[in-house]
Amino acid sequence: MCRCGAPIGRKGSPSEVECDYDSEEGGETVAQNKKLEEYFDEELFIPEMKASSKKEALEELVDALAETGKIHDKSLILEMLERREALGSTGIGNGVAIPHGRSLAANQIMVVFGKSSKGVEFDSMDDKPVNLFFLILAPPQDRFNQYLPFLGKVVELIKDGAVRSRLAEVGSFQDFLKVLSEGQNDE
Amino acid sequence: MNEKLRLLVGLQDLDMMIRESKEEEETLGFKIQNLEKLHAARKHLAKQIDEEWLKLYERVAARHGRAVVPVEGGICLGCFMGLPTSAQIKPKPDEDIRVCENCGRILYWL
Repeated sequence: MCRCGAPIGRKGSPSEVECDYDSEEGGETVAQNKKLEEYFDEELFIPEMKASSKKEALEELVDALAETGKIHDKSLILEMLERREALGSTGIGNGVAIPHGRSLAANQIMVVFGKSSKGVEFDSMDDKPVNLFFLILAPPQDRFNQYLPFLGKVVELIKDGAVRSRLAEVGSFQDFLKVLSEGQNDE
Repeated sequence: MNEKLRLLVGLQDLDMMIRESKEEEETLGFKIQNLEKLHAARKHLAKQIDEEWLKLYERVAARHGRAVVPVEGGICLGCFMGLPTSAQIKPKPDEDIRVCENCGRILYWL
């Protein structure tokens, strides 16, 4: 079974060509070669979020995407994110939340970073407010299988307390990229 | 967007979420607490979809993994075949759902 859920037949069989994902091996290579900072975009960097609740935080992050025209249906994305939160909060503790999911309303992997100095209650695993938000969206047809490896990279990076402290202080997108780049080098 | 199509897209998003929840928990360390709630939400959503379209969705999903696929530049991104010229224009919200004549997947215009 392919990651997309499609049955995979033997090479050359009709079922093999039904799957529109690239092979896992090839996909992993592409995802591993792409640097974390290459996924981020200055337009999707929110240096100080206004939100004061979980709902508002999700809306503010999705609004950033809608304003750049990168998503076609904001409400579909919000519905998906709210369902994902119902499954278990993406507030992973230590002041970090990584709301994420796949939706047809997204046509490529997109990431929004938002920072809240005052913190937002997000039902986090440690019940502490969230200061750092990474909204990660991917289309279902993630041809190069970048989504889960990318999500894993963000989770790994953010485990480092020094990286979290530095991210909490960044004031510009350039500073943010620098922290990401140096954080990966330290791993 | 056509309301029927919207429901089908929501259903597919839920199916993807259910499918990947195990990997998220085991590999990435996210806490998955309410999988049964998600199954219940799927059931609730499925009830709102016409039987005819739900059957089509389930049949195509079982065969291809994903039943609803985007159309970009007149190409079905499920089978990568060009749609007939007459079917390439984005349908109006009140028009019925379109299906790829080649692979049978349900089409969603980006």
